[in-house]
Amino acid sequence: MTAIQARGLAKGYGGFPAVRDVSFEVPEGEIFALLGRNGSGKTTTVELLTGLRRPDAGTARVHGLDPVADRAAVRRRTGVMLQEAGFFPDLTVAQTVDTWRGFTAAPRPRGEALELAGLSAKAGTRVRQLSGGEKRRLDLALALLGRPDVLFLDEPTTGMDPEGRRDTWRVIRELAGQGTTVLLTTHYLEEAQRLASTMAIMDAGEIVAAGGMAETLAARGGRVAFRLPAGVDPESLPLPVTLDGATAVCRADDPDLAAQTLLSWAAGRGLRLAGLEVRAATLEDLFLDLPGSAR
Amino acid sequence: MTLAAAYHLGTRLFWRDKAMLVASVVTPVGLAVGMPVLMRNVRADGVSAATEIFHGTLAILLSITAFMNIAVALTARRDQLVLKRLRTSRLTDAQILAGQIASTVTQTVALIALSTVAVRLLADVPLPADPVLYAAAVVLGSAVMAVLGAAYTAAIPRTELAAAFTMPVFLLAGVGAGAMPIPLPDWADTVLGLLPTSAVVDAVSRGDVLPLAPNLAVWAVAGLVALRLWFRWEPRR
Repeated sequence: MTAIQARGLAKGYGGFPAVRDVSFEVPEGEIFALLGRNGSGKTTTVELLTGLRRPDAGTARVHGLDPVADRAAVRRRTGVMLQEAGFFPDLTVAQTVDTWRGFTAAPRPRGEALELAGLSAKAGTRVRQLSGGEKRRLDLALALLGRPDVLFLDEPTTGMDPEGRRDTWRVIRELAGQGTTVLLTTHYLEEAQRLASTMAIMDAGEIVAAGGMAETLAARGGRVAFRLPAGVDPESLPLPVTLDGATAVCRADDPDLAAQTLLSWAAGRGLRLAGLEVRAATLEDLFLDLPGSAR
Repeated sequence: MTLAAAYHLGTRLFWRDKAMLVASVVTPVGLAVGMPVLMRNVRADGVSAATEIFHGTLAILLSITAFMNIAVALTARRDQLVLKRLRTSRLTDAQILAGQIASTVTQTVALIALSTVAVRLLADVPLPADPVLYAAAVVLGSAVMAVLGAAYTAAIPRTELAAAFTMPVFLLAGVGAGAMPIPLPDWADTVLGLLPTSAVVDAVSRGDVLPLAPNLAVWAVAGLVALRLWFRWEPRR
C-alpha cells in the first residue's frame, strides 16, 4: 500500500518555481528521506503533501486522500512537524501539550507524549525558556500526539544537540518499526543514511536522484584516498586518481580491491601511502557530485 | 469538540496577555464608564447626557475589544507562525477562525454587560428598555466587528503595526457614533452612519431596529468574503 504519493507536483511563488514536477511514492511503514540544500524545495513539497498549500499542478495523496480538499480526514491519520512553527511563549510545556490534546482525537496522555520526546523534566517550563533543541522536541511531541500512521518531519533535528538527535532517531525508528510511515526532510546526510530506506535528492525544486538508499550508494562505489608520496607522478600510479591538494583520490566500484592494488604497487617501490583511507560511498559523495554543486 | 478547544484557546490567551488587557479591557471600559460618570457630574442634564455618551462609547468598545483585539491577536499569531501550526492540527481553517471570533465576541459582550451595569450604578444611566434588542444588537454587533477585524489582518503588514492600523477604524467608529463629539458635515455623518458600530448605537439609543439587521448582514457578508479571499495564514515571504 502506498501511504504518500506525489505525482508531478509543481508550485511557484510569484513566478519563481519552488517545486517542479516532483513525483515519488512512499510505501506504508517506510522511512523516506527528502534531501537537499536549503531552498531546494523540500519544505514546499512537505507543505503541498500536508495540504497547507495548493499545488499549481500535479497531485498529492496521503492514504489516497487529497490533503487540501480532505484536510480534516487526512489530519486524523497524520502528524506534522513543520520546519518552523510558533508556540505560545507564555504557556508551559505541559499546558502546550494539553492545549494540543484538545485538538486531537484520542490523543496520547500528556505524560506519554512528553516521555516519547524526552521532555518529561521540562513539563513545568515556559516555552519561551526552552532551548532550540527542546522546542524541536516539543514539536515532535505535538506531532506524535494523535498516534499518526503517517508522519511528516521537516528538518526534525535541526538545532538539536547530538544526544537530542540520537534520541529523535531512536523514536523515529521505533515508530517506523510499529508501522508508521515517515517522510523526513533533512540536510544532514548522516541522518538520512541512518534512518531512511529510500530517498530522493532535490535540487532547485526538482528531484535529481532517487531510489533505495543501499542500492544507490552501492552503485556509486567508493573511494581510496592517500597522500601522494613526494616525487611520484600521479600518471605513474596503477589506477587513475584525482588530486585534492596533496591528497590523491581514487574512485572505484570496489574500493577494497583498489586499495590492495595501490598498496602492492607502493610496496614494490618501497613507498608508503600515508593517510590511507578506504570507504564506501556516502550520501555526501553523491551529494557533492550533483550538477550545480560548484565544487 | 475541536471548535470548543479553539474557543478555549482564544479565551485563555486573551486573559493571559497582561499588556493587551490594558489596551483591550481597561481602556475601553474606562472610557465607557468614565465618560458617562463625568457627564453625569458636570452637565445640568446629567442623566440624559450620560446615557447618550454611554451609548456612543459602545462603538468604542466594539471597535477596540472586538475589532482591534482580534486584529492584533490574529496578526501576532500569523507572524509567530502559530496559525500555521494550528493548521497542522485537526482544526479546519473555519474552526480556527470561528473559535477566535467566538472567544472575542464573548469577551466583548461580557465587557459591555459589565459597563452597562457599572454606568447604571455610577451614573444613573437607565438599564436598556428593551433588553432583548439590546442584547441582540450587542452580540451581533460584536460578531460582525470580530469578523471584520479578522478580515482586516490581510491589510496589516506585520504585528508591530497592527494597533496603528486599527486606529483609524476606532476613530471613525467613535466619531460616527458620537462618542467623540466632533462637528461633522452632513455627508460625513451619513457615511459614518453606515458603519456597523453606528447601526448598533442607533438601535440601542433610538430603537432603530429596521436599519440594524440589513446593515449588519451586509457587513458580515463583506467580512466573510474578504476572509475567504484575502486572509493570510502566514507572514509574507
